[in-house]
Amino acid sequence: MKQQSGKLGIREFVSIAVLMVGSKATEDTPAILYSQAQNASWMIPFISAGIFFIPLYLLIKTMSVYDEKDLFSVIKIILGKYIGFLVCLIIFIMSSYAVSFDTRTYTNIIRAFYFTTTPTLIVYALLILICAYGAKKGLQHIGSVSYLIVFYGVLSLYIALLLGTQNANINSMFPIWGPGPLALVKEGSQKLTLFADFFLLTMLVPYLTSKKAFKRGTWLAYFYVTFQISIAILTYVCMFDEGLAGIAYPFHTVIRFISLGQYIPNVEIIFFIIWIMAAFIRFTAFLYINAMMFGHLFKIKDFEYLIPSLATLYLMIGMIPEAPINVSLVFKPLIVSTAGPFFAVISFVLWLVALLKGEFKHAKNKDII
Amino acid sequence: MTKLLKKSLNTEPEFKEETNAEEIEIKKQEISTHIEKNLETFKSLFTIPDNADVKLREFTIQQLNRKAFIIYISTMADLKAIMDGIEGPLIDSEHPSTKIQDIVSYPLEKTATKIGDITEFITAGVTALFVDGDSNCYLFETTKIRGRSIEKSDNEVIVKGGKESFNEKVIDNIALIRKKIKNENLLVEAQTISKRSRNSVFLVYQKDLVNDDLLKNVKERLNSFDIDSTLDLSILEQMLEERPRSLFPTIVYTERPDRAASFIEEGHIILLMENSPSCLILPATFWAMFHSPEDHYLRAPYGNFIRILRFFALFVAVFTSPIYLAITNFHVGMIPPDLLMAIAGTRERVPFPSIVEVLMMEIAFELIREAGLRVPSPIGPTIGIVGALILGQAAVQANIISPIVIIVIALSGLSSFIIIDISMNFAIRITRFLFIFSAGFIGIYGITALFIGGLFYLVSLKSFGTPYFAPMTPHSFSSKDLLIRHIPMKERFRPGYLKPKDMVKQRKG
Repeated sequence: MKQQSGKLGIREFVSIAVLMVGSKATEDTPAILYSQAQNASWMIPFISAGIFFIPLYLLIKTMSVYDEKDLFSVIKIILGKYIGFLVCLIIFIMSSYAVSFDTRTYTNIIRAFYFTTTPTLIVYALLILICAYGAKKGLQHIGSVSYLIVFYGVLSLYIALLLGTQNANINSMFPIWGPGPLALVKEGSQKLTLFADFFLLTMLVPYLTSKKAFKRGTWLAYFYVTFQISIAILTYVCMFDEGLAGIAYPFHTVIRFISLGQYIPNVEIIFFIIWIMAAFIRFTAFLYINAMMFGHLFKIKDFEYLIPSLATLYLMIGMIPEAPINVSLVFKPLIVSTAGPFFAVISFVLWLVALLKGEFKHAKNKDII
Repeated sequence: MTKLLKKSLNTEPEFKEETNAEEIEIKKQEISTHIEKNLETFKSLFTIPDNADVKLREFTIQQLNRKAFIIYISTMADLKAIMDGIEGPLIDSEHPSTKIQDIVSYPLEKTATKIGDITEFITAGVTALFVDGDSNCYLFETTKIRGRSIEKSDNEVIVKGGKESFNEKVIDNIALIRKKIKNENLLVEAQTISKRSRNSVFLVYQKDLVNDDLLKNVKERLNSFDIDSTLDLSILEQMLEERPRSLFPTIVYTERPDRAASFIEEGHIILLMENSPSCLILPATFWAMFHSPEDHYLRAPYGNFIRILRFFALFVAVFTSPIYLAITNFHVGMIPPDLLMAIAGTRERVPFPSIVEVLMMEIAFELIREAGLRVPSPIGPTIGIVGALILGQAAVQANIISPIVIIVIALSGLSSFIIIDISMNFAIRITRFLFIFSAGFIGIYGITALFIGGLFYLVSLKSFGTPYFAPMTPHSFSSKDLLIRHIPMKERFRPGYLKPKDMVKQRKG
């Protein structure tokens, strides 16, 4: 029985992916989707997933040519030293931007629903502090913790949604196509950012036990998460119908809405606990990946030491917007509308260049020899 | 830079010590063939006659017509055996014979020539015989140490299953394990770890199971100490741990031989020591501390029932008072209105904030608990219960504490008793205080933050290379004896994180 130390098993990898991407169903993403696709917004995840499937597939295929190499190394090998560096830098900046405002979004949620009188900075700093501590512990430990809590996270989400269906009306689904099939496809293609995290997760390839584990894990998480986000949005749509347009954070409205029978009317805290745990994991993983990117870009081997300073930087960037509304309407749309398509284009370009360079043939020949 | 500064500030203090180089030099020498010389050497080494229990007797061996003397420590040796088996035959035996082996009736242990070795044996209770003109010293295993007999386990009480526990005699302890594992591959290896008191540690393991790297690692750790004396296994435990300052234990300390034997069978290593009524099991995981031997003795449904109960108790012990604090201070909306009114009503006349209330009562509970341990046993239980009841009742009547806090504290305090491992028990009790502070600081959010931070810490703990939550995460092959256990027929594998030489402990048949 040989056991590799410091490597991530498939269970841990899938847990990280599910918690990272799956928690998008519980923040302001559903609201943003609803504002454009109305009652058919639950289809957007499926459409986006379908579209993003192609670049992700191509990316994984391209990367499988290179053994044990992460995304940045592959980009540098394929696109050359300078263009590669530039692309990597852009990816890093985009993901840093995303982390900063995503963490701020979560802080806003916590402040808006649970700790209305606590200063933003304290709530925010505590979030970042724990994430930085976790990230500093390393990837394997992030994976372990996420595996320990992923079941409770997923289970509690479904319990919340199930309780929510008591007040739901299935008729709100109709007209089934919402604003029309064409508009849906258009929206879906613009919302690729939903799955942009999977692009970033390819940074972890060398830290997994095997290439196969990575491939299987990615697809498993990919399909599951699509399903989960879609189910969540569908429940919101059925519960709130038109009202969803005016709700910034539907999940939290749902858990405030539901009750466990007559006697316990407010159960939001129970769901809040698990939700915030998932959020901690999500940003810990995010922070770790960003630190890894930074280390890779500037050739810093012990990038774990960068984590506290990067975390502080994100905290300061995240504190820039003065009001929560600015985050959702000014800062986040910028990244939401660009990151996904940009990552898709990069994946495509990588594959194309690799194809033209004949890398796939080389790899095949190598296998034969 | 800071390291340099620290180094310059923390210098090793220099003492004016008396040298014992002369004595060390003597110990390296061989014994002389002249008995007078030997007599003198050993008299000075053992400070005879000032050293009251070191006995030295000179006599003449009749058959050989040679001078001889024996030396032993009377408190460590079996006097009757020496009289009948060694001294008697030597002084007045009729048999004409020339070899010492043929004269004495006591089974000869061995011969030695180095003074250092001989003194070491004598201090362990061996009798040494010196004969004039002989370059060897004859050693007889006459050790007889007084101690407690094998008794019932006091601290790890179970209802079903064996009741014996280890005692202070390591020979008994090894015998207790041997009688459970009748296999020639069960090795008992002795290793001396301290220089002055020469305490030795016994490593017990199955040769054909244990992972060689692990064994090497443990032996190297044991060899790495440069220390004068290690009196007890519990001190060794602290020295062995990778993080001795950590709140959570990484080595199991148990007094039950059945538990030790079951761990040996899985490929763990057990450490035993003279004078310690317990053993150390390494490496250990969270599950090893959390499980109780009874989980396996009981039938599967009952065993799992008490396991789930224990897991629940773990959470109750840690989280009841923090959650009470968080909910009453930060998330009042969660409580159903009737209950809220009831709580508010009882708190109406209490002048303290609830965190002070909870802390006072927690500390009082810990005090009662600690005092209950130290009170002489006949009055102990009465004092404990009466003290707690009266204290609680009086505190409520004096409006210092609200009754609901008493319920909360009593519940969490009682639950903490269910965790059988003493170190884990302490860890749980101390983390409870941390959680109380975090709940007082920022409610549920603080509790959750600390919990996740704590989880990150726990998963990063390692015990001799084994992650704390293995084999759950990182996953490795095992018979899945974690939160719940399967029926014994399904537990077919040894835990994979130990990398045992033989994974399968039960074939399909």
